[in-house]
Amino acid sequence: MLKGKVALVTGGSRGIGRAIALKLAEQGADVIINFFRRRQAAEQTAKDVESLGVAAKVIKANVGDPEKIDEMFDIIGSSFGRLDIFINNAASGLPRSALDLDAKGWDWTMDINAKAFLLCTQRAVKLMEGRGGKIVTISSLGSYLVLPGYVAIGISKAALEALTRYLAIELAAKGICVNAVAGSLVTTEAGMLYTRAAQEQLGEAFPWQTTPAGRLVAPEDIANVVAFLCGEEAFMIRGQIILVDGGTSLVPFSLMSKGG
Amino acid sequence: MSATEETVKDIIVKIVHCDREVLTPTATFQDMKADSLDMVQVLVALEDEFGIEIPDEDAQKFQNFGDFITYVDAKVAEKGNA
Repeated sequence: MLKGKVALVTGGSRGIGRAIALKLAEQGADVIINFFRRRQAAEQTAKDVESLGVAAKVIKANVGDPEKIDEMFDIIGSSFGRLDIFINNAASGLPRSALDLDAKGWDWTMDINAKAFLLCTQRAVKLMEGRGGKIVTISSLGSYLVLPGYVAIGISKAALEALTRYLAIELAAKGICVNAVAGSLVTTEAGMLYTRAAQEQLGEAFPWQTTPAGRLVAPEDIANVVAFLCGEEAFMIRGQIILVDGGTSLVPFSLMSKGG
Repeated sequence: MSATEETVKDIIVKIVHCDREVLTPTATFQDMKADSLDMVQVLVALEDEFGIEIPDEDAQKFQNFGDFITYVDAKVAEKGNA
């Protein structure tokens, strides 16, 4: 379905990014895997992508740094000459309450989670110009639900969701579809680290031990929807935040630990 | 004291805002009062300064300031020999 397409997945070495890279590869896309800190993991993902019969390329870049974003897109431009799919997945943030969040933590989180989406999209569009493309960003329920220690990430995700809507309209005439996929707690290393930190703050078990659907969200659940949004069947979906949460957002926290 | 050590100290003091005197070879991250974000920013700054790569897989083994110096020296030498 995505045969011959070139896709970039930021933060593609592990977790949700890795699942997306593999899903897009499974559908025939060549995949560029951006990573920041985990080279071994990125190279493993690239190897797994290649085993699906498509090309993979690993590019190290801190997307919180505009210069590194430019360097990454320069490499993509010279290596592939185009881009069909851009997945804005890289994210970071410290588990802090609002009163404990300092300027450095705020800037770090906003730069990587929100500003990078804008700057990467500006460069990605140049490589999509004249042919159209798909842009999908990864958000979370913390953009509007209040989660323990999630203030910086939550705000950055809210910014990212607003940007998704603006970009969807600005880029619509260019044939570029922009959407977001938002999960609840996803069973990744980062998700589990966050849960532990949140439990320490709460002094009790994190309320999301499951979802009304009977299990937590897996990275592949997010990847499946991302892949759909990258296909032509999703052409008329623009600027939407698609929730992949097993129904979590419909149930009060107090009922969640009882299995919804 | 090596040039590497001085540069690494400059970077850590700038990012972590700890006293330079704290940075003895056996100083731990707790001694520096560095949080996880500080440490990532130090690693990124070291990578940019020395033109090397310090993946998390390696950085997770660092126990103290001395480990930084040993690692950076080895990576810089490796780069010079490449």
